Amino acid sequence: MSRGTLLQLAVTAIALIALPAAAVDHNNIDARRPLSFDDADSLAYREQALEFGLGLGLTRRRALGIGMAAEYLYGYQMNSHLSVGLDPTFGGRARDRDTRFDLGAVSVGWLRNFNRQHGRTPAFALRADLLAPTGIGGRGVGFRLRGIATRQAGRYGRAHLNLDLNGNPGAGGGERDLHGAIVLGYSRPLGYPTRFATTGLAELSVRQGEDQGTGPGMGVGLGLRKQVGVLSVVDVGLQTDLVGWKGSPRDRVRFVVGYSRGF
Amino acid sequence: MKHLTWLSTLTAALLGWTAAAASGSPAPAAMQVENRAVPAVRALPTAPPNLPKWLSNTRRNHIFIRRGRYNFDVYRIDRLARDLNAVSVGHAMAYEDLVTGRAGGLETDTFARIDRVLKNPPRFMPDEAAISPTFARTYGVLEQVFDWTHILHAQTVDVLASADLTEKQKEREIERLWQYYFDTVPYAITPLPMNMDYLYTFPYSRKFRNTYPKVNGLFWGYHWLQGAMYDLLYRVSPQDQQAGYAVIGEQYRKVELYLTDRYFMPMFAEVSPAFASRFPHIANAFDNLHMLHDMVNDILATEWLNERQKAEQVKLAIWMVSAEAHRGEKPGSEAAERLHDHRHFVGMPGMGIMTGMSPELMWMPSMGWMNMSDCHHCSMPLWSGKDEWRNPTVSADGWSMRIRCPLCARDMSAETKGRALLRIPTEDPERVALVISDEQGNLKTSSPGLIFIESEDTHIGCDEWSRAFTSRAAFDAYVKATPKLAGARALTFGEWAVKEGHKPDTYVKPKGPVENPYSSIVGPDMGKATSKEGAQR
Repeated sequence: MSRGTLLQLAVTAIALIALPAAAVDHNNIDARRPLSFDDADSLAYREQALEFGLGLGLTRRRALGIGMAAEYLYGYQMNSHLSVGLDPTFGGRARDRDTRFDLGAVSVGWLRNFNRQHGRTPAFALRADLLAPTGIGGRGVGFRLRGIATRQAGRYGRAHLNLDLNGNPGAGGGERDLHGAIVLGYSRPLGYPTRFATTGLAELSVRQGEDQGTGPGMGVGLGLRKQVGVLSVVDVGLQTDLVGWKGSPRDRVRFVVGYSRGF
Repeated sequence: MKHLTWLSTLTAALLGWTAAAASGSPAPAAMQVENRAVPAVRALPTAPPNLPKWLSNTRRNHIFIRRGRYNFDVYRIDRLARDLNAVSVGHAMAYEDLVTGRAGGLETDTFARIDRVLKNPPRFMPDEAAISPTFARTYGVLEQVFDWTHILHAQTVDVLASADLTEKQKEREIERLWQYYFDTVPYAITPLPMNMDYLYTFPYSRKFRNTYPKVNGLFWGYHWLQGAMYDLLYRVSPQDQQAGYAVIGEQYRKVELYLTDRYFMPMFAEVSPAFASRFPHIANAFDNLHMLHDMVNDILATEWLNERQKAEQVKLAIWMVSAEAHRGEKPGSEAAERLHDHRHFVGMPGMGIMTGMSPELMWMPSMGWMNMSDCHHCSMPLWSGKDEWRNPTVSADGWSMRIRCPLCARDMSAETKGRALLRIPTEDPERVALVISDEQGNLKTSSPGLIFIESEDTHIGCDEWSRAFTSRAAFDAYVKATPKLAGARALTFGEWAVKEGHKPDTYVKPKGPVENPYSSIVGPDMGKATSKEGAQR
């Protein structure tokens, strides 16, 4: 993708952000908006959403990295949605020294909610994503399976447990073909009982290293989602990798800003 | 795969988290209530066998609004949109406190919290389930029914508030919205008129109203607004909608929210008779939804019901007002089993029968007995059938009445206290003139060029000799087509507004079987009392 095309994408994203506010509730959590966990809710049946994000990553001994994210979601049936996503990056990144523009993997995803939280049973969902090898050095179609559980935690808060299994069938020498992660998220509306438009988020994640011989990394994140229109939400987040065992690569800090709009 | 060993260990530990959800998390406080002694009252209603599965579903089942260019046009009348947003918060806060052991503070802490939001309404519609998470997970199917019908509420209001659609387009879209609502899910509310007396005579009935009058007053205030806004918006120009909400909104915020002694919830057709007569199925569904709210409030407030009984009674209440429970039944039909009594008032198919009333005679607190098919000013028959849209309405002091002619509307508003809204149809079905009467009875309108005819005679013919027109040309055409009005004078709005008619020669005050059909049920302590918050205004 040329820099011109990139610029065009960015302008389009900004133009969409500038549309009259009309998306998506601040209390509904999707991965990367702004942290890495999902809640167990799908989009409403027949709802569509566009989600955009821009991330700045400071990586140890690397140049500044810029990551973008764009995702389209569609509630194609009750309690299920499909998604198509793109994660281009350029600049410094944690796992290699390459700073060229990388289109990243184009993903196609599916999320199925099995139940709402009822009584003492958490809400459960399964998310599956296929990742096309469209990025630099991409080989084979990768996948991610994510089990999601969400339950009330405290008076208004919700806790979210995400268990990931990532598959990389085209893994080269030195790379793991399967690696896992666990993310424990927490979200809570802020401002009750007088304000009803903001949700605070926090996460603690443990991820297995993608390269053989490396240990797991542990990260934390904090974020906010704020309703800015009837169906639109702006989010900001800050993530950092606290610890990386046995040479696990890590970002010093990532700052994420995003916008979601339902329609 | 061996690399996943550490992960599986951690996973096992965290899975304990979800298991803890099944054993260690505190139950909603309300669930801990002991099953107290049941007073000697009539038996609780029992569920029929084989209730449909959807009544026990554990899915989320969220459905997006029907797409339309009118969506969220209610924000054109920003204060109305915000007041409606606050209504959602009010419902959710009260329900959450009812099921989390905080019912004791409903009349104090909860009321104060809700009142603060009502006075500072949020900019966007909040997610009710986020404000009442315990209620939502305890009564998830009820939440689905509420949400789905609230969407119908919201979208029909968006259509009416649209500045882009013509009145014909609005009517067609409202019917489409109804079909979307009715056909998409199994848990639509029945569009049939229900016997409200029957639904309000269970052992738990009136418990919430009598125990928590201030919060109940808020609920009924919300329901007043959710009804009254329809006639304010229906066939009224965007400019007049704004002006009208200044009056209706003030009535809602200063009076209706704080009434603590209504006999019964405000019925849709009592506050929006024009819309209710055009869309009786929608008016009935909203009344039935609001009745479901009341039944649930009463069930949750009844301390001698244990949690299992509350869950069963809530489920049964949903079933009673569901469309599925009344499949194949017809509006107007009477049945020995009162649950299936769908009689309505004569002339008002959008209102079910209430306590002590008959199809011929309805009773309202400040109005007494009345016949819903006659003019409330001159007792002559209202326009009906395809001409029903020709009836003006007068809204004042919390009620709305259908009237036969502009003179009746003007003179009736002059007889009422406070401000009033007059909806006066013209010869063009698309144009209803909104006239606002101030405290002194002075009338004003933002509809330009209105012309009136008022050749006063016996009220037997007031539907002919008192009319409003959008232009002089329309007036002339009408006079030409009506020879007996030849030579009638064309009155400007200013000339018409200061006239006063004679007392109608045809007026007859209907007499009911008793003075007040509710007095034997709820006692004589009624009037227009308000909570302290309301009285301070």
